Amino acid sequence: MVDATTTKEDVWIPTCCGQCYCMCGVKVRRQDGIVTQIEGNPDAPTGRGSICVKGLASPHLLYDPYRVNYPLKRTNPEKGLGVDPKWERISWDEALDTITEKLKECQERDPRGVFFQATTTQASEIRFGVIGFMKAFGTPNYWVSGGGLHCGNGAHFMNGIMHVAWSIIPDFAHCNYALNFGCSKGHGAGHVAVMNATQVADARFRGFKNVVFDPFMSAQASKGHEWVPIRVGTDGALALGLVNSLINEHGIYDAEYLMYKTNAPYLIRPSDGRYMRDKETNLPQVWDLVDNKPKIHNDPSVTRVEYEDEAHEVALTGTYNVDGVDCQPSFELLKEHVKKYTPEYVEKITWVPAATISRIAKEFGEAAEIGSTVTIQTENGPKKIPRRPVATHFFRGAQGHTNSGWTCLSIDMVNHIVGAADTYGSALGLGGTVQDGYKKTGKPYQIPYPCPDGLLKAKAWVYDHIPYPLREPKPPTRLDLHDMFPTSIYNAFTICSPKWFDILERFKIPYRPDVMINFGSNSVMTMGNAEAVTENFLKKFRFIFSFQLYCTEFEEAVADIVLPDACYLERFTPAVSFPSTFSHPQGEDDWGWTIRQPVVKPLFERRDFNEVMLDISKRCGILGKYYKGLNDVVPIRYGGDLEEKNKLVEDGSVEHSWEDICDRLVRDRFGDEHNLEYFKKRGLFTWPKRKEDVYWKWFNPSRVPVYFEYFIDSGEKMSKLWDEYQGNDFFKFDWSRFKALADWYPCPTHTEEDPEYDMHTFYWRAVAHCNSLTQQNPYLDECAQEDPHVYAVQMHQDTAAAKGINDGDYVWLENPQGHKVKGWVSLCEGIEPKHLAIAAVAGHWGKYMPIAKGKGVFFNDLVEMDLEHTDPLTFNQDICCRVKIYKAD
Amino acid sequence: MPQYGMVIDLKRCYGCYACVMACKVKNHTPPEVFWARLLKGERGKFPNTMRQALPVLCMHCEEPSCLEVCPTGATQKLDNGIVIVDKDKCMGCKACIMACPYGARYSVEKWVSYFPEGLPLSDYEKFAKNYWEEKSGCGVATKCDFCLDLIEKDKLPACVEACPANARTFGDLDDLDSEASTLIRKCRGEVLNPELGNKPKVYYLAPR
Repeated sequence: MVDATTTKEDVWIPTCCGQCYCMCGVKVRRQDGIVTQIEGNPDAPTGRGSICVKGLASPHLLYDPYRVNYPLKRTNPEKGLGVDPKWERISWDEALDTITEKLKECQERDPRGVFFQATTTQASEIRFGVIGFMKAFGTPNYWVSGGGLHCGNGAHFMNGIMHVAWSIIPDFAHCNYALNFGCSKGHGAGHVAVMNATQVADARFRGFKNVVFDPFMSAQASKGHEWVPIRVGTDGALALGLVNSLINEHGIYDAEYLMYKTNAPYLIRPSDGRYMRDKETNLPQVWDLVDNKPKIHNDPSVTRVEYEDEAHEVALTGTYNVDGVDCQPSFELLKEHVKKYTPEYVEKITWVPAATISRIAKEFGEAAEIGSTVTIQTENGPKKIPRRPVATHFFRGAQGHTNSGWTCLSIDMVNHIVGAADTYGSALGLGGTVQDGYKKTGKPYQIPYPCPDGLLKAKAWVYDHIPYPLREPKPPTRLDLHDMFPTSIYNAFTICSPKWFDILERFKIPYRPDVMINFGSNSVMTMGNAEAVTENFLKKFRFIFSFQLYCTEFEEAVADIVLPDACYLERFTPAVSFPSTFSHPQGEDDWGWTIRQPVVKPLFERRDFNEVMLDISKRCGILGKYYKGLNDVVPIRYGGDLEEKNKLVEDGSVEHSWEDICDRLVRDRFGDEHNLEYFKKRGLFTWPKRKEDVYWKWFNPSRVPVYFEYFIDSGEKMSKLWDEYQGNDFFKFDWSRFKALADWYPCPTHTEEDPEYDMHTFYWRAVAHCNSLTQQNPYLDECAQEDPHVYAVQMHQDTAAAKGINDGDYVWLENPQGHKVKGWVSLCEGIEPKHLAIAAVAGHWGKYMPIAKGKGVFFNDLVEMDLEHTDPLTFNQDICCRVKIYKAD
Repeated sequence: MPQYGMVIDLKRCYGCYACVMACKVKNHTPPEVFWARLLKGERGKFPNTMRQALPVLCMHCEEPSCLEVCPTGATQKLDNGIVIVDKDKCMGCKACIMACPYGARYSVEKWVSYFPEGLPLSDYEKFAKNYWEEKSGCGVATKCDFCLDLIEKDKLPACVEACPANARTFGDLDDLDSEASTLIRKCRGEVLNPELGNKPKVYYLAPR
């Protein structure tokens, strides 16, 4: 037994937290070989010495007696929800022998039969090892279960188009007025959680105003200077109402910004909505108001890269004759288009009073202080740039709907109308959009650049295809037909359809699901209705093996072999804070490349996923290809090519250990002196961020769209391809969403006609939990129980009284499709009376997660996995629904 | 000798439980023991509703009710103002727990695991059990001591260090220039239930 007061070893080891995807730098205390405490690492730009409740609770993640410690084999051939797998402990050799045999069989049948499923919690592994292995094995099939389909297909894609960033967030350090649409940024959960909490607390202290639109009184609403209750799923309508009110009611917009930093002046041909293009260069044209003639968009006389550049004004409104065609700038079309979103019309949709919409638009527009500037110090001396201390921001709450894509664009449009994008005080790309790299190596490098049409294009990105330009729709090869749909990364409505195999047949997919490799996901609970996911999708695989920390509901239902994975405290991860998504705070603090290192050797027979993937690759005879896969991943993920000497040897003549691979990557990014040994001592490497990279808008020659001309083309191509396969026999697509101007579309929850289903329900993110895993941590579970609402169904007291429901009553929530979930009610005033709010991925039932079991409500069981509940533009799932509520026995 | 106290800015605090957890992991407190705790409440009728988180801990009162009732001298007020329990002198009568108007004291009869009974204790829980039994003890009164061991090493209490919102300021309230004193003065810090006359040394700044 360790004597707590006289330990011999007492060391703090620098590494990176892994309880969520924020990647805070931490120091972990090890006393006589036991991890006893975790703190933030003050040297790490992400965290700066603080970490959140989840990171602090990590010792129980490492030592939980319910962790999987040995490889397990399912001995019960039956699969399904609630089936006892009858686990049998096996050796690693037996596990890997079986896995190799199944993978080799699949290789022979068709390697594309491998489907990689992963968790966003371990985002670093997904971006490197998972994708590297997929390339090596030759399969395009993967998904990150709830990541993406619930919270990113819309937001990440659209933020990628508009900011080359994974997300957007106010420049809290200088922002004075923000509009928060259903997201917890700066208030605990999610994005750069700790640093944003610090920044927003400082901002509150100096008088920053935050208006929060949310159906219930979330943490951010409770801290905001105004809470505006809104009907779930209608944020896009509200945003378009604000755009209309700004432009057409108050006449507030940043003409300078729109002229030179967006495609607002691009002339549009009325016949088909396409750009007017110059006959010689084929480039989009604008109307030069000084020379009174059309010019190509990048003609120097009409271009301003830096704020102090001089250029002719170009037309934003009016009608102009070009080559005999009467055409209008896209802004004129937008201005007309949004007129239907009058405050009164929007009130009917959103339940936000018309006067409130009009007032907030005015406040926002005035707070933008259009015309104001600030001088910042850049590498090229002092430069004047616009100062726009306002921002809108959003995330899961606003974007988890069947109108996801257009909602994201509409909310961000509010920023672009007043020029509040990627400049001082405004909405910034979260995580750092622009990276000039460490001076000595020039890596990691990510400076976006304009495409020939002038629009913003990424240099490096989180996954292989950049958000713009859109891919060409192609005949499908993937199990979810993804190749056909350039505006999404993956979808659920195909693979979770009861007609999945018929679909594969029709779309001429020559192979079938074969081996699923699961890395840390509990997709039975994190996607949607558990029965649909299990029966229609997961049970269709011949063989499933899973790297996992616990035997979750997923393993219980469908895994054939469970491999005991190392947790973040037991493994090396060479790149954690890059690609920078939620792993850097916005603003002027340094860049930091963080690694993870084992604080203790993997306990029991646990093994690190990364090491095992090397082992599996070797056994499958694809080790050289795996090295190539990893080499190939580096340039786009981590910004910049690998030097020849640091590349993994692809012919298989050299066997690289995982530590060697980590060492090569960090040396390649930061020079030989910053090798893995350097990182083991410090945990990270930091270098200064340039101010012109923080506020990059007026240093970059690119524009962003307010008119999405290219969606029209893409939609036409997709629908043509779809019709070639007579896809409508399976799904009736609304191709009209592929158009140039933003609109709001109702979700099924808004159009439900049966009066029995009279309540809207949705889920929110609790600060003590991330995804589904933390529910098993007893410290976090205890915190969640301390909160009056986390494990309950929040319900307004008057609504409950009218239904005869009392505080603490057990109730059923049943959706129109007959799916229902059970929970207990906590009555309150802080919720719009027609709504019911549920937190987190709760309501576990698996017997191997006893702490999590029976706590909270399994909201996702109400999420339907069909096209009707999917955004046709981005394939984001609909995370709200109509229910009836009644007492349970 | 400094007189230690704390200021909690409710405008900064957003109820994230980092203080609660930092205290747990630093002091290895068993289930249901919260030397640092977060209370959450709601006021007003929809839509004019307010929700507020209130972090609480031992108030280290200048005139502690717990001290008055302690029959053995186990509860002591140190020269630096920190109220502590000497576990070796405590007889476990719980009079102090009843007397404390702030509900800041806890006692457990027996150390209990966070996991269901019948499992071997994990290495961490063995450590935590040992730590608790040696430092705090079972069958006796326990409470926040402002992380006295850390203060003695010129460090900050764990809850202060952990707070992402920098809502907590710890310092010498006798030093009028300390950050804590300045905040209390400038932002009109108030104590909870001043009418009780305990003169708490934990001050709160208004949420709005």
